[in-house]
Amino acid sequence: MAKKSVGFFESQRIQGQIASWVLYIIAWSGALVFVVPLVWMITTSLKAPDQIFTVPPRWLPYTQLTLNYDTEIKASNSGKIKITKDTDGTKRIELGGYSHVIPAIAELKVKKNDIVAKGDIIATIPNSGKVAIVEKVDKSKTITITSDKGLLIKEYQISQDTKPVVKDGATVHMGDKIADVWPQWSNYGKAWAPKALDETFTKYLMNTLIITITGIIGVLLSSTFVAYGFARFKFPYRDQLFMIMIATMMIPAQVTMIPTFFLFKQLGWIDTFAPLIVPTFFGGGAFNIFLMRQFLMTVPVELDEAAKIDGCNYLQIFWIILVPLVKPAMATTAIFGFVYNWNDFMNPLIYLNSTSNYTLALGLQTFTTMYGTNYDLMMAASTIVLLPILMIFFFGQRFFIEGVATSGLKG
Amino acid sequence: MENAVKKNKVKMSKQDAIWGFIFISPWILGLIFFTGGPIIASLILAFCDWDLITPPKLVGLDNFIKMFSDTRFLNSLFNTFYYTIFSVPLGIVGSVMVALLMNQKWKTVRLLRTIYYLPSVTAGVASAIIWMWLLNPDFGLINYGLSLLGVKGPMWMADELWSKPAIVIMSLWGVGGNMIIYLAGLQGIPRQLYEAADIDGAGMFDKFRYVTLPMLTPVIFFNLIMSVVASFQVFTQVYVMTGGQGGPADSTLVMVLYIYQQAFKFHNMGYASAIAWILFIIIMIFTLLQFKVAGGWVHYEGELKK
Repeated sequence: MAKKSVGFFESQRIQGQIASWVLYIIAWSGALVFVVPLVWMITTSLKAPDQIFTVPPRWLPYTQLTLNYDTEIKASNSGKIKITKDTDGTKRIELGGYSHVIPAIAELKVKKNDIVAKGDIIATIPNSGKVAIVEKVDKSKTITITSDKGLLIKEYQISQDTKPVVKDGATVHMGDKIADVWPQWSNYGKAWAPKALDETFTKYLMNTLIITITGIIGVLLSSTFVAYGFARFKFPYRDQLFMIMIATMMIPAQVTMIPTFFLFKQLGWIDTFAPLIVPTFFGGGAFNIFLMRQFLMTVPVELDEAAKIDGCNYLQIFWIILVPLVKPAMATTAIFGFVYNWNDFMNPLIYLNSTSNYTLALGLQTFTTMYGTNYDLMMAASTIVLLPILMIFFFGQRFFIEGVATSGLKG
Repeated sequence: MENAVKKNKVKMSKQDAIWGFIFISPWILGLIFFTGGPIIASLILAFCDWDLITPPKLVGLDNFIKMFSDTRFLNSLFNTFYYTIFSVPLGIVGSVMVALLMNQKWKTVRLLRTIYYLPSVTAGVASAIIWMWLLNPDFGLINYGLSLLGVKGPMWMADELWSKPAIVIMSLWGVGGNMIIYLAGLQGIPRQLYEAADIDGAGMFDKFRYVTLPMLTPVIFFNLIMSVVASFQVFTQVYVMTGGQGGPADSTLVMVLYIYQQAFKFHNMGYASAIAWILFIIIMIFTLLQFKVAGGWVHYEGELKK
């Protein structure tokens, strides 16, 4: 009997272990999916333009460029050959609905009206050629491979981070290495000071830092101040006011947006940072007040009373006794405030007009409108914008988690 | 003597009250100037015609009547509901599941939590751009992944049928933010409850069904309300991915984007205010509805003791 029950628990234990392993694998697979977009952003940001639009996608930028092209053109259908010629020497072969483009360099292996089967070789391209390197103003280069007669076989656009290992005039064969390709760090330089925009990311970064830092100061000062009022004083309608404050969290910003915009317009604050900064000094947001109040409630009242007996007034109690004690909660608020301000898009979009006042988020959005297909540069710009926030996250991780725990969301 | 003490106390509490008001005064001023005042103003504006330059003209219910025949407005209403109906439940199920996984006692669990949480701090323009690239129909990773499974991926943001699902999928990348809240909730569940369940011979699924889930319902409820409020206000992703248009063919024109266009592109401040109020009312109705239904499924531990 006793033995039997041991066996039962044993089997349950093994079952539990298997389940745990399955969950572990699921957890890591999911994590992989979650991290892929960020990895993809970084690897794309280091690629040369010709490495971006590839099927299948390349995970990592490649390290060398080898001469590679099709040396044979094969029929994609069976049928009778029909040849037409374009003005630039390009020929076309029509074959049962398919149109093959035969470049001037290719040597035709079939004649008009020949009958071919699918997969037959209809033209060949020489497997070696002569190198010609042309350097452009921005230090990027074009490597062209031409035949003896000067007909183009293949052309490579290479960026300034790519170093050709073949010399001008040399002969190269199929499969030869023609250049060393380094990660395209220059993408970051190009993204940082985009030619198509008036401003560089230095300006956007400075603007964002000014707004973010003063905004955080405003939020910290005023939310702690107000939270102290709610946490430690009894006054008429306190609980009703507190409920109103909680309720304001439900109000969509769009309802107040237009009159607030008008108010700031009347004050002459449009296209300045004031609309983004000044409101933070008036309470600092319901959520932050709530968070600080929850935290203050955990500080024993005896501390206040002791200070009062020692002759401190309320401002002194607040500043000397409580503020140092609620520093961890302030760190949480500061970090959330940083993330909020850094990512905020709608408010800068509404209030800032001139590009010299743009924040990173606005600058990045403008960047995409100018460089919509240059994913290498767009990913470099995105990395520039995300890097500080990712750093803040790694160093301030515990405050994110603590913030959630202290806000008493457990119900 | 006793009377004197009492008097002193009353005096003190009066002074206390004044100090209390002093401390909350920044918020009170903010409430008047940046919340209460503007709300009343926007309610009045909703019944006006106003281009910001000439004085507002009272037009009665015109703005609200106009909405019924404004196909772009109706479209934005539909798109916003579509987004909410898919992104909120999927987001909640997703974040609860991830939280359950992250509540295991693995050595690497801290690293895992970080990875899952990371995308939610990158919310904004940059992540929208990353997703534009991931969702690229020809060269994006998503369609490449689908092709490995033998599925030909859709055109995503270039196809009016698939643009909304694309935004929903993108929103799921951010479930880590709510995951942390659920995790805090899970860790607050008393261990005795599981021990009691063990004694009753409950299996893993029974424990989830009868202990974990009921104990988590208050957090889910809080989250549900906040998620609905947030999803009705979706804006940045759509603005960035469609260049502020809400395309293709208005298929991603959500309410906030439409309010923005009406207000700051067409300068129809009155009409924009009216739509903002409709949005507000919808959010209020949803929130009240949820509070109404909550009694049926949200479990508060206090009730156990009755």
